[in-house]
Amino acid sequence: MAGPRTYRQKEIRRHLWIYGALTPYIIIAVFPIYWMAITAFKQDPDLYRMDAFPLWFHLAPTWKHFSYLFTNTNYGAWIVNTMVIAAWVAVITLLAAVPAGYALARLRIPGAENLGIAVFMTYLVPAIILFLPLARVVSMLGLQDSWWALVLVYPTVTIPFCTWLLMGFFKTVPVEMEEAARVDGCGYWGALVRIVLPVSVPGILTAVIFAFTLSMQDFLYGLAFVAPGDQKPVTVGVPTELIRGDVFFWGSLMAAALMVGLPVAILNNFFLDRFIQGITGGVGK
Amino acid sequence: MGAPFLFSLYLALSDANVGDPVAHFVGLENFRAALESDVFYIALQNSIVFTVVGAIFKGLLGTTLAFLLLQPFWGRKFVRGLVVIPFTLPISISVLSWKWMYDSQFSVINWFLSRIGLIGSYGSADWPVWLGQPHLALAACIIVNVWRTFPFSAIVLLAGFTSVPTEILDAARVDGTSFMQRFRFVVVPMIAPILLIGFLFDTVFTLSDLSIVYLLTQGGPANATKILPVLAYQVGIQAGALGRGAAISLFLFPLLMPLMILLLRNLRRREY
Repeated sequence: MAGPRTYRQKEIRRHLWIYGALTPYIIIAVFPIYWMAITAFKQDPDLYRMDAFPLWFHLAPTWKHFSYLFTNTNYGAWIVNTMVIAAWVAVITLLAAVPAGYALARLRIPGAENLGIAVFMTYLVPAIILFLPLARVVSMLGLQDSWWALVLVYPTVTIPFCTWLLMGFFKTVPVEMEEAARVDGCGYWGALVRIVLPVSVPGILTAVIFAFTLSMQDFLYGLAFVAPGDQKPVTVGVPTELIRGDVFFWGSLMAAALMVGLPVAILNNFFLDRFIQGITGGVGK
Repeated sequence: MGAPFLFSLYLALSDANVGDPVAHFVGLENFRAALESDVFYIALQNSIVFTVVGAIFKGLLGTTLAFLLLQPFWGRKFVRGLVVIPFTLPISISVLSWKWMYDSQFSVINWFLSRIGLIGSYGSADWPVWLGQPHLALAACIIVNVWRTFPFSAIVLLAGFTSVPTEILDAARVDGTSFMQRFRFVVVPMIAPILLIGFLFDTVFTLSDLSIVYLLTQGGPANATKILPVLAYQVGIQAGALGRGAAISLFLFPLLMPLMILLLRNLRRREY
Protein backbone atom coordinates (compact mmCIF):
# COMPACT_ATOMS: atom_id res chain seq x y z
CA MET A 1 0.00 0.00 0.00
CA ALA A 2 2.83 2.36 0.82
CA GLY A 3 4.27 2.42 -2.67
CA PRO A 4 1.28 3.69 -4.72
CA ARG A 5 0.23 6.15 -2.02
CA THR A 6 3.58 7.94 -1.95
CA TYR A 7 3.51 8.05 -5.72
CA ARG A 8 0.05 9.54 -5.56
CA GLN A 9 1.09 12.03 -2.91
CA LYS A 10 4.04 13.00 -5.04
CA GLU A 11 1.76 13.52 -8.01
CA ILE A 12 -0.64 15.64 -5.98
CA ARG A 13 2.19 17.76 -4.65
CA ARG A 14 3.57 18.21 -8.15
CA HIS A 15 0.17 19.27 -9.43
CA LEU A 16 -0.24 21.77 -6.61
CA TRP A 17 3.12 23.26 -7.48
CA ILE A 18 2.25 23.60 -11.13
CA TYR A 19 -1.21 25.04 -10.49
CA GLY A 20 0.25 27.45 -7.98
CA ALA A 21 2.86 28.63 -10.44
CA LEU A 22 0.31 28.93 -13.22
CA THR A 23 -2.24 30.90 -11.21
CA PRO A 24 -0.61 34.33 -11.69
CA TYR A 25 -0.43 33.77 -15.45
CA ILE A 26 -4.05 32.76 -15.62
CA ILE A 27 -5.13 35.74 -13.53
CA ILE A 28 -3.13 38.12 -15.70
CA ALA A 29 -4.53 36.60 -18.88
CA VAL A 30 -8.16 36.39 -17.85
CA PHE A 31 -8.68 39.32 -15.51
CA PRO A 32 -9.33 41.97 -18.21
CA ILE A 33 -12.04 39.73 -19.65
CA TYR A 34 -13.61 39.20 -16.25
CA TRP A 35 -13.50 42.92 -15.63
CA MET A 36 -15.14 43.48 -19.00
CA ALA A 37 -17.91 41.03 -18.18
CA ILE A 38 -18.68 42.31 -14.71
CA THR A 39 -18.72 45.90 -15.94
CA ALA A 40 -21.12 45.02 -18.73
CA PHE A 41 -23.69 43.67 -16.27
CA LYS A 42 -23.38 46.27 -13.53
CA GLN A 43 -25.84 49.11 -13.04
CA ASP A 44 -24.33 52.56 -13.37
CA PRO A 45 -24.52 53.54 -9.67
CA ASP A 46 -22.80 50.26 -8.86
CA LEU A 47 -20.12 50.94 -11.48
CA TYR A 48 -19.06 54.39 -10.39
CA ARG A 49 -18.36 54.08 -6.72
CA MET A 50 -15.08 53.83 -4.94
CA ASP A 51 -15.97 52.52 -1.52
CA ALA A 52 -17.18 49.02 -2.36
CA PHE A 53 -15.30 45.91 -3.45
CA PRO A 54 -15.33 46.39 -7.25
CA LEU A 55 -15.02 42.77 -8.35
CA TRP A 56 -18.55 41.75 -7.49
CA PHE A 57 -22.14 43.05 -7.77
CA HIS A 58 -23.68 45.26 -5.09
CA LEU A 59 -26.87 45.96 -7.02
CA ALA A 60 -28.74 43.47 -9.15
CA PRO A 61 -27.10 42.66 -12.52
CA THR A 62 -28.73 44.31 -15.52
CA TRP A 63 -29.19 43.83 -19.26
CA LYS A 64 -29.65 47.56 -19.71
CA HIS A 65 -26.26 48.17 -21.34
CA PHE A 66 -26.91 45.48 -23.92
CA SER A 67 -30.34 46.71 -24.89
CA TYR A 68 -29.00 50.28 -25.09
CA LEU A 69 -26.50 49.13 -27.71
CA PHE A 70 -29.13 47.72 -30.01
CA THR A 71 -31.69 50.50 -29.60
CA ASN A 72 -29.56 53.64 -29.47
CA THR A 73 -26.45 52.90 -31.52
CA ASN A 74 -25.39 51.36 -34.83
CA TYR A 75 -24.11 48.29 -33.02
CA GLY A 76 -26.41 45.91 -34.88
CA ALA A 77 -25.34 47.38 -38.22
CA TRP A 78 -21.66 47.03 -37.33
CA ILE A 79 -22.09 43.36 -36.54
CA VAL A 80 -23.90 42.78 -39.81
CA ASN A 81 -21.16 44.71 -41.67
CA THR A 82 -18.46 42.64 -40.07
CA MET A 83 -20.15 39.35 -40.88
CA VAL A 84 -20.81 40.35 -44.50
CA ILE A 85 -17.25 41.63 -44.94
CA ALA A 86 -15.84 38.45 -43.45
CA ALA A 87 -18.00 36.29 -45.72
CA TRP A 88 -16.93 38.18 -48.84
CA VAL A 89 -13.30 38.05 -47.82
CA ALA A 90 -13.53 34.30 -47.24
CA VAL A 91 -15.13 33.74 -50.65
CA ILE A 92 -12.63 35.92 -52.52
CA THR A 93 -9.73 34.36 -50.68
CA LEU A 94 -10.82 30.83 -51.51
CA LEU A 95 -11.46 31.68 -55.16
CA ALA A 96 -7.90 32.94 -55.46
CA ALA A 97 -6.02 30.73 -53.04
CA VAL A 98 -7.41 27.30 -54.02
CA PRO A 99 -6.24 27.41 -57.67
CA ALA A 100 -3.00 29.14 -56.72
CA GLY A 101 -2.17 26.73 -53.92
CA TYR A 102 -3.04 23.76 -56.11
CA ALA A 103 -0.91 25.03 -58.97
CA LEU A 104 2.05 25.56 -56.67
CA ALA A 105 1.70 22.15 -55.09
CA ARG A 106 1.25 20.14 -58.27
CA LEU A 107 2.21 21.77 -61.52
CA ARG A 108 5.97 21.95 -61.72
CA ILE A 109 6.39 25.67 -61.89
CA PRO A 110 10.01 26.75 -61.53
CA GLY A 111 10.61 28.54 -58.27
CA ALA A 112 7.53 27.12 -56.57
CA GLU A 113 9.50 26.08 -53.48
CA ASN A 114 10.85 29.57 -52.95
CA LEU A 115 7.37 30.99 -53.22
CA GLY A 116 6.62 29.63 -49.77
CA ILE A 117 9.37 31.85 -48.43
CA ALA A 118 8.22 34.77 -50.58
CA VAL A 119 4.68 34.54 -49.19
CA PHE A 120 6.15 34.32 -45.75
CA MET A 121 8.16 37.48 -46.28
CA THR A 122 5.17 39.43 -47.57
CA TYR A 123 3.37 38.46 -44.41
CA LEU A 124 6.08 40.26 -42.55
CA VAL A 125 5.66 43.56 -44.36
CA PRO A 126 3.55 45.34 -41.80
CA ALA A 127 0.15 46.80 -42.60
CA ILE A 128 1.33 50.18 -41.42
CA ILE A 129 3.61 50.42 -44.46
CA LEU A 130 0.88 49.31 -46.82
CA PHE A 131 -2.14 51.20 -45.59
CA LEU A 132 -1.23 54.56 -47.11
CA PRO A 133 -0.76 53.28 -50.68
CA LEU A 134 -3.90 51.20 -50.25
CA ALA A 135 -5.70 54.32 -49.08
CA ARG A 136 -4.84 55.83 -52.43
CA VAL A 137 -6.18 52.82 -54.33
CA VAL A 138 -9.36 52.88 -52.26
CA SER A 139 -10.00 56.55 -52.91
CA MET A 140 -9.28 56.15 -56.62
CA LEU A 141 -11.97 53.48 -56.77
CA GLY A 142 -14.33 55.73 -54.82
CA LEU A 143 -14.82 53.16 -52.07
CA GLN A 144 -13.64 55.17 -49.09
CA ASP A 145 -17.11 55.66 -47.68
CA SER A 146 -18.27 52.07 -47.52
CA TRP A 147 -17.19 48.75 -46.12
CA TRP A 148 -16.57 47.51 -49.65
CA ALA A 149 -13.15 49.12 -49.26
CA LEU A 150 -12.35 46.47 -46.66
CA VAL A 151 -13.58 43.64 -48.88
CA LEU A 152 -11.03 44.91 -51.37
CA VAL A 153 -8.19 45.31 -48.89
CA TYR A 154 -8.31 42.29 -46.57
CA PRO A 155 -7.66 39.75 -49.32
CA THR A 156 -4.23 41.32 -49.88
CA VAL A 157 -3.36 39.80 -46.51
CA THR A 158 -5.42 36.62 -46.58
CA ILE A 159 -4.65 35.42 -50.11
CA PRO A 160 -0.87 34.98 -49.74
CA PHE A 161 -1.17 33.28 -46.37
CA CYS A 162 -4.02 30.99 -47.41
CA THR A 163 -2.29 30.09 -50.67
CA TRP A 164 0.67 28.93 -48.67
CA LEU A 165 -1.51 27.10 -46.18
CA LEU A 166 -3.48 25.31 -48.87
CA MET A 167 -0.34 24.46 -50.81
CA GLY A 168 0.79 22.47 -47.80
CA PHE A 169 -2.53 20.66 -47.64
CA PHE A 170 -2.65 19.85 -51.33
CA LYS A 171 0.84 18.38 -51.18
CA THR A 172 -0.36 15.80 -48.68
CA VAL A 173 -2.99 14.48 -51.10
CA PRO A 174 -1.44 11.49 -52.94
CA VAL A 175 -0.93 12.17 -56.64
CA GLU A 176 -2.10 8.62 -57.38
CA MET A 177 -5.63 9.50 -56.31
CA GLU A 178 -5.74 12.25 -58.87
CA GLU A 179 -4.19 10.10 -61.57
CA ALA A 180 -6.84 7.50 -60.94
CA ALA A 181 -9.50 10.18 -61.33
CA ARG A 182 -7.92 11.36 -64.53
CA VAL A 183 -7.87 7.83 -65.93
CA ASP A 184 -11.56 7.69 -65.13
CA GLY A 185 -12.09 10.74 -67.33
CA CYS A 186 -11.68 13.79 -65.12
CA GLY A 187 -9.60 16.73 -66.31
CA TYR A 188 -7.19 18.62 -64.07
CA TRP A 189 -10.10 20.74 -62.96
CA GLY A 190 -12.39 17.78 -62.42
CA ALA A 191 -9.76 16.02 -60.34
CA LEU A 192 -9.31 19.13 -58.25
CA VAL A 193 -13.02 19.61 -57.59
CA ARG A 194 -13.97 15.96 -57.08
CA ILE A 195 -10.93 14.49 -55.39
CA VAL A 196 -8.56 17.05 -53.94
CA LEU A 197 -11.04 19.53 -52.49
CA PRO A 198 -13.14 16.99 -50.58
CA VAL A 199 -9.98 15.52 -49.07
CA SER A 200 -8.69 18.97 -48.15
CA VAL A 201 -11.80 20.15 -46.30
CA PRO A 202 -9.88 20.73 -43.04
CA GLY A 203 -7.40 22.93 -44.85
CA ILE A 204 -10.12 24.89 -46.57
CA LEU A 205 -11.95 25.37 -43.29
CA THR A 206 -8.75 26.65 -41.74
CA ALA A 207 -8.39 29.14 -44.56
CA VAL A 208 -11.99 30.28 -44.04
CA ILE A 209 -11.45 30.72 -40.31
CA PHE A 210 -8.31 32.69 -41.02
CA ALA A 211 -10.17 35.00 -43.40
CA PHE A 212 -12.94 35.44 -40.82
CA THR A 213 -10.73 36.13 -37.85
CA LEU A 214 -8.57 38.54 -39.79
CA SER A 215 -11.63 40.51 -40.81
CA MET A 216 -12.75 40.61 -37.21
CA GLN A 217 -9.37 41.48 -35.73
CA ASP A 218 -8.28 44.26 -38.00
CA PHE A 219 -8.37 47.77 -36.65
CA LEU A 220 -6.01 49.85 -38.77
CA TYR A 221 -7.59 49.36 -42.18
CA GLY A 222 -11.11 49.80 -40.90
CA LEU A 223 -10.10 52.95 -39.06
CA ALA A 224 -8.31 54.41 -42.05
CA PHE A 225 -10.70 53.54 -44.83
CA VAL A 226 -14.25 53.63 -43.53
CA ALA A 227 -15.62 56.93 -42.28
CA PRO A 228 -19.46 56.82 -42.08
CA GLY A 229 -20.77 55.63 -38.73
CA ASP A 230 -23.15 53.00 -40.05
CA GLN A 231 -20.58 51.45 -42.40
CA LYS A 232 -17.94 50.52 -39.87
CA PRO A 233 -16.99 47.01 -38.89
CA VAL A 234 -17.66 46.29 -35.26
CA THR A 235 -14.02 46.38 -34.07
CA VAL A 236 -13.73 49.94 -35.34
CA GLY A 237 -17.23 51.13 -34.55
CA VAL A 238 -17.13 50.25 -30.88
CA PRO A 239 -13.99 52.18 -29.93
CA THR A 240 -14.57 55.14 -32.24
CA GLU A 241 -18.33 55.74 -32.22
CA LEU A 242 -19.33 54.73 -28.71
CA ILE A 243 -16.89 57.15 -27.14
CA ARG A 244 -18.24 60.66 -27.43
CA GLY A 245 -15.77 63.33 -26.43
CA ASP A 246 -14.71 62.74 -22.88
CA VAL A 247 -17.81 60.89 -21.76
CA PHE A 248 -17.31 57.17 -21.53
CA PHE A 249 -20.30 54.88 -21.08
CA TRP A 250 -18.22 52.05 -19.75
CA GLY A 251 -21.15 49.73 -19.15
CA SER A 252 -22.30 49.64 -22.74
CA LEU A 253 -18.74 49.85 -24.06
CA MET A 254 -17.80 46.72 -22.18
CA ALA A 255 -21.03 45.01 -23.19
CA ALA A 256 -20.21 45.75 -26.82
CA ALA A 257 -16.65 44.54 -26.40
CA LEU A 258 -17.74 41.36 -24.66
CA MET A 259 -20.20 40.35 -27.36
CA VAL A 260 -17.56 40.65 -30.08
CA GLY A 261 -14.59 39.49 -28.10
CA LEU A 262 -15.83 36.17 -26.79
CA PRO A 263 -16.87 34.53 -30.07
CA VAL A 264 -13.74 35.72 -31.85
CA ALA A 265 -11.53 34.50 -29.03
CA ILE A 266 -13.14 31.07 -29.17
CA LEU A 267 -12.80 30.84 -32.97
CA ASN A 268 -9.22 31.97 -32.76
CA ASN A 269 -8.42 29.41 -30.12
CA PHE A 270 -9.24 26.71 -32.64
CA PHE A 271 -7.11 28.36 -35.26
CA LEU A 272 -4.12 29.12 -33.07
CA ASP A 273 -2.30 25.80 -33.43
CA ARG A 274 -2.52 25.92 -37.19
CA PHE A 275 -1.25 29.48 -37.18
CA ILE A 276 1.74 28.64 -35.00
CA GLN A 277 2.43 25.60 -37.17
CA GLY A 278 2.21 27.83 -40.22
CA ILE A 279 4.81 30.25 -39.01
CA THR A 280 7.17 27.82 -37.31
CA GLY A 281 6.62 24.78 -39.53
CA GLY A 282 8.45 26.33 -42.45
CA VAL A 283 11.71 26.19 -40.53
CA GLY A 284 11.07 23.83 -37.64
CA LYS A 285 11.48 20.59 -39.50
CA MET B 1 1.53 42.63 -51.83
CA GLY B 2 4.58 43.77 -53.77
CA ALA B 3 2.65 46.37 -55.74
CA PRO B 4 1.38 48.35 -52.74
CA PHE B 5 4.88 48.33 -51.34
CA LEU B 6 6.37 49.85 -54.49
CA PHE B 7 3.46 52.27 -54.62
CA SER B 8 4.30 53.23 -51.07
CA LEU B 9 7.85 54.02 -52.16
CA TYR B 10 6.48 56.13 -54.98
CA LEU B 11 4.12 57.98 -52.64
CA ALA B 12 6.94 58.72 -50.27
CA LEU B 13 8.76 60.41 -53.12
CA SER B 14 5.76 62.52 -54.17
CA ASP B 15 3.69 65.29 -52.68
CA ALA B 16 0.44 63.36 -52.86
CA ASN B 17 -2.34 64.27 -50.47
CA VAL B 18 -5.97 63.40 -50.07
CA GLY B 19 -7.36 66.57 -51.59
CA ASP B 20 -5.14 66.76 -54.64
CA PRO B 21 -5.02 63.55 -56.65
CA VAL B 22 -2.24 64.70 -59.00
CA ALA B 23 1.07 63.88 -57.37
CA HIS B 24 4.36 65.49 -58.31
CA PHE B 25 7.72 63.93 -57.89
CA VAL B 26 9.55 65.67 -55.07
CA GLY B 27 12.51 63.35 -54.57
CA LEU B 28 13.57 62.80 -51.01
CA GLU B 29 11.75 65.91 -49.78
CA ASN B 30 9.36 63.91 -47.57
CA PHE B 31 12.17 62.01 -45.92
CA ARG B 32 14.02 65.26 -45.30
CA ALA B 33 10.91 66.81 -43.78
CA ALA B 34 10.52 63.80 -41.49
CA LEU B 35 14.14 63.88 -40.40
CA GLU B 36 13.91 67.57 -39.61
CA SER B 37 10.90 67.34 -37.32
CA ASP B 38 11.42 66.77 -33.61
CA VAL B 39 8.34 64.62 -33.30
CA PHE B 40 9.90 62.10 -35.63
CA TYR B 41 12.85 61.50 -33.31
CA ILE B 42 10.59 61.26 -30.30
CA ALA B 43 8.47 58.72 -32.15
CA LEU B 44 11.53 56.75 -33.26
CA GLN B 45 12.86 56.63 -29.73
CA ASN B 46 9.49 55.64 -28.28
CA SER B 47 9.11 52.93 -30.92
CA ILE B 48 12.45 51.42 -29.97
CA VAL B 49 11.77 51.60 -26.23
CA PHE B 50 8.31 50.14 -26.77
CA THR B 51 9.66 47.22 -28.78
CA VAL B 52 12.79 46.43 -26.75
CA VAL B 53 11.29 46.70 -23.26
CA GLY B 54 8.24 44.80 -24.43
CA ALA B 55 10.39 42.04 -25.91
CA ILE B 56 12.35 41.58 -22.67
CA PHE B 57 9.21 41.08 -20.56
CA LYS B 58 7.55 38.90 -23.17
CA GLY B 59 10.68 36.76 -23.27
CA LEU B 60 10.69 36.32 -19.50
CA LEU B 61 6.97 35.64 -19.10
CA GLY B 62 6.86 33.50 -22.25
CA THR B 63 9.80 31.29 -21.31
CA THR B 64 8.61 30.61 -17.77
CA LEU B 65 5.08 29.91 -18.94
CA ALA B 66 6.34 27.60 -21.68
CA PHE B 67 8.32 25.59 -19.12
CA LEU B 68 5.25 25.24 -16.92
CA LEU B 69 3.06 24.16 -19.82
CA LEU B 70 5.69 21.65 -20.86
CA GLN B 71 5.04 19.58 -17.73
CA PRO B 72 2.35 16.98 -18.05
CA PHE B 73 -0.52 17.77 -15.68
CA TRP B 74 -4.24 17.36 -15.43
CA GLY B 75 -6.23 20.01 -17.30
CA ARG B 76 -3.29 21.27 -19.34
CA LYS B 77 -5.32 21.88 -22.48
CA PHE B 78 -7.85 23.94 -20.56
CA VAL B 79 -5.18 26.05 -18.88
CA ARG B 80 -3.53 26.59 -22.24
CA GLY B 81 -6.83 27.71 -23.68
CA LEU B 82 -7.21 30.23 -20.86
CA VAL B 83 -3.75 31.75 -21.03
CA VAL B 84 -3.87 32.29 -24.79
CA ILE B 85 -7.04 34.39 -24.50
CA PRO B 86 -5.18 37.72 -24.66
CA PHE B 87 -3.68 36.78 -27.99
CA THR B 88 -6.96 35.60 -29.45
CA LEU B 89 -9.09 38.63 -28.59
CA PRO B 90 -9.45 41.32 -31.26
CA ILE B 91 -6.93 43.93 -30.29
CA SER B 92 -9.21 46.97 -30.37
CA ILE B 93 -11.62 45.16 -28.06
CA SER B 94 -9.13 44.18 -25.40
CA VAL B 95 -7.51 47.61 -25.41
CA LEU B 96 -10.91 49.05 -24.42
CA SER B 97 -10.96 46.88 -21.35
CA TRP B 98 -7.50 48.15 -20.42
CA LYS B 99 -8.54 51.72 -21.01
CA TRP B 100 -11.28 51.20 -18.44
CA MET B 101 -8.81 49.58 -16.04
CA TYR B 102 -6.54 52.61 -16.47
CA ASP B 103 -9.42 55.02 -15.77
CA SER B 104 -8.21 58.12 -13.97
CA GLN B 105 -10.63 57.68 -11.07
CA PHE B 106 -12.25 54.24 -11.12
CA SER B 107 -9.13 52.32 -12.10
CA VAL B 108 -9.36 48.81 -10.67
CA ILE B 109 -5.56 48.62 -10.71
CA ASN B 110 -5.33 51.65 -8.47
CA TRP B 111 -8.06 50.28 -6.23
CA PHE B 112 -5.97 47.16 -5.74
CA LEU B 113 -2.69 49.04 -5.21
CA SER B 114 -4.37 51.34 -2.74
CA ARG B 115 -5.89 48.37 -0.89
CA ILE B 116 -2.53 46.69 -0.38
CA GLY B 117 -1.11 50.03 0.72
CA LEU B 118 1.29 50.80 -2.12
CA ILE B 119 -0.43 54.07 -2.97
CA GLY B 120 -2.69 56.48 -1.13
CA SER B 121 -6.39 56.97 -1.73
CA TYR B 122 -7.96 58.87 -4.62
CA GLY B 123 -6.89 62.51 -4.70
CA SER B 124 -3.61 61.97 -2.89
CA ALA B 125 -0.35 62.92 -4.60
CA ASP B 126 0.79 59.40 -5.36
CA TRP B 127 -2.48 58.33 -7.01
CA PRO B 128 -1.22 57.33 -10.48
CA VAL B 129 -3.07 58.65 -13.51
CA TRP B 130 -1.93 55.91 -15.86
CA LEU B 131 -2.68 57.53 -19.16
CA GLY B 132 -2.04 61.10 -18.06
CA GLN B 133 1.55 61.00 -16.83
CA PRO B 134 4.22 60.69 -19.57
CA HIS B 135 6.31 57.81 -18.20
CA LEU B 136 3.35 55.93 -16.83
CA ALA B 137 1.53 56.28 -20.14
CA LEU B 138 4.37 54.66 -22.07
CA ALA B 139 4.60 51.94 -19.42
CA ALA B 140 0.83 51.42 -19.66
CA CYS B 141 1.06 50.91 -23.43
CA ILE B 142 3.94 48.47 -23.02
CA ILE B 143 2.01 46.52 -20.38
CA VAL B 144 -0.91 46.05 -22.76
CA ASN B 145 1.42 44.94 -25.51
CA VAL B 146 3.18 42.45 -23.23
CA TRP B 147 -0.15 41.20 -21.91
CA ARG B 148 -1.41 40.62 -25.42
CA THR B 149 1.63 38.84 -26.84
CA PHE B 150 3.27 36.87 -24.02
CA PRO B 151 0.99 33.88 -24.75
CA PHE B 152 2.27 33.97 -28.31
CA SER B 153 5.88 33.80 -27.12
CA ALA B 154 4.98 30.97 -24.76
CA ILE B 155 3.26 28.92 -27.45
CA VAL B 156 6.03 29.41 -29.98
CA LEU B 157 8.59 28.38 -27.36
CA LEU B 158 6.45 25.42 -26.38
CA ALA B 159 6.37 24.28 -30.00
CA GLY B 160 10.15 24.57 -29.98
CA PHE B 161 10.68 22.69 -26.72
CA THR B 162 8.48 19.80 -27.72
CA SER B 163 10.40 19.41 -30.97
CA VAL B 164 13.60 18.55 -29.08
CA PRO B 165 13.91 14.75 -28.90
CA THR B 166 14.05 13.52 -25.31
CA GLU B 167 16.83 11.06 -26.23
CA ILE B 168 19.20 13.94 -26.81
CA LEU B 169 18.32 15.50 -23.47
CA ASP B 170 18.78 12.15 -21.74
CA ALA B 171 22.15 11.70 -23.41
CA ALA B 172 23.22 15.10 -22.17
CA ARG B 173 21.98 14.26 -18.69
CA VAL B 174 24.02 11.06 -18.68
CA ASP B 175 27.04 13.15 -19.60
CA GLY B 176 26.56 15.03 -16.34
CA THR B 177 25.24 18.36 -17.53
CA SER B 178 23.24 20.68 -15.30
CA PHE B 179 19.78 21.92 -16.22
CA MET B 180 21.07 25.31 -17.26
CA GLN B 181 23.82 23.75 -19.35
CA ARG B 182 21.34 21.52 -21.12
CA PHE B 183 19.13 24.51 -21.76
CA ARG B 184 21.93 26.72 -22.99
CA PHE B 185 23.95 24.25 -25.10
CA VAL B 186 21.37 21.73 -26.27
CA VAL B 187 17.88 23.19 -26.31
CA VAL B 188 18.60 26.76 -27.40
CA PRO B 189 20.77 25.86 -30.41
CA MET B 190 18.24 23.25 -31.53
CA ILE B 191 15.25 25.55 -31.40
CA ALA B 192 17.11 28.65 -32.59
CA PRO B 193 15.27 28.81 -35.94
CA ILE B 194 11.87 28.70 -34.27
CA LEU B 195 12.97 31.25 -31.70
CA LEU B 196 14.13 33.51 -34.49
CA ILE B 197 10.86 33.25 -36.38
CA GLY B 198 8.80 33.91 -33.28
CA PHE B 199 10.99 36.83 -32.34
CA LEU B 200 10.78 38.26 -35.83
CA PHE B 201 7.01 37.99 -36.02
CA ASP B 202 6.60 39.55 -32.65
CA THR B 203 8.94 42.42 -33.45
CA VAL B 204 7.07 43.15 -36.63
CA PHE B 205 3.71 43.05 -34.84
CA THR B 206 4.92 45.25 -32.03
CA LEU B 207 6.82 47.74 -34.11
CA SER B 208 4.00 48.22 -36.57
CA ASP B 209 1.04 48.07 -34.24
CA LEU B 210 -0.92 51.26 -33.93
CA SER B 211 -4.11 50.20 -32.18
CA ILE B 212 -2.86 50.01 -28.59
CA VAL B 213 -1.33 53.47 -28.49
CA TYR B 214 -3.94 55.01 -30.75
CA LEU B 215 -6.82 53.84 -28.58
CA LEU B 216 -5.20 54.40 -25.22
CA THR B 217 -3.53 57.78 -25.60
CA GLN B 218 -3.44 58.90 -29.26
CA GLY B 219 0.28 59.41 -28.71
CA GLY B 220 -0.16 61.83 -25.79
CA PRO B 221 0.38 63.22 -23.22
CA ALA B 222 2.78 65.60 -24.97
CA ASN B 223 4.02 62.96 -27.44
CA ALA B 224 5.16 60.72 -24.57
CA THR B 225 3.69 57.64 -26.26
CA LYS B 226 3.93 58.71 -29.88
CA ILE B 227 5.35 55.83 -31.89
CA LEU B 228 6.08 55.75 -35.62
CA PRO B 229 2.86 54.02 -36.77
CA VAL B 230 0.71 56.52 -34.87
CA LEU B 231 2.68 59.41 -36.31
CA ALA B 232 2.37 57.97 -39.82
CA TYR B 233 -1.37 57.59 -39.39
CA GLN B 234 -1.86 61.07 -38.02
CA VAL B 235 0.24 62.69 -40.73
CA GLY B 236 -0.89 60.46 -43.59
CA ILE B 237 -4.62 60.07 -42.99
CA GLN B 238 -5.77 62.60 -40.42
CA ALA B 239 -3.70 65.48 -41.85
CA GLY B 240 -4.05 64.09 -45.37
CA ALA B 241 -0.38 64.26 -46.34
CA LEU B 242 -0.11 60.79 -47.85
CA GLY B 243 3.45 61.29 -49.08
CA ARG B 244 4.71 62.47 -45.71
CA GLY B 245 2.95 59.61 -43.94
CA ALA B 246 4.33 57.03 -46.35
CA ALA B 247 7.84 58.36 -45.80
CA ILE B 248 7.45 58.03 -42.03
CA SER B 249 6.09 54.51 -42.22
CA LEU B 250 8.93 53.52 -44.54
CA PHE B 251 11.39 54.43 -41.81
CA LEU B 252 10.16 51.27 -40.10
CA PHE B 253 11.71 49.29 -42.89
CA PRO B 254 15.39 49.89 -42.08
CA LEU B 255 14.55 48.90 -38.51
CA LEU B 256 13.15 45.59 -39.73
CA MET B 257 15.65 44.97 -42.50
CA PRO B 258 18.51 43.41 -40.46
CA LEU B 259 16.03 40.97 -38.89
CA MET B 260 14.67 39.96 -42.26
CA ILE B 261 18.11 39.40 -43.77
CA LEU B 262 19.07 37.30 -40.79
CA LEU B 263 15.96 35.23 -41.19
CA LEU B 264 16.34 34.76 -44.92
CA ARG B 265 19.93 33.58 -44.56
CA ASN B 266 18.85 31.17 -41.90
CA LEU B 267 16.09 29.76 -44.10
CA ARG B 268 18.45 29.36 -47.06
CA ARG B 269 21.02 27.55 -44.99
CA ARG B 270 18.54 25.04 -43.73
CA GLU B 271 17.36 24.10 -47.18
CA TYR B 272 20.53 22.16 -47.95
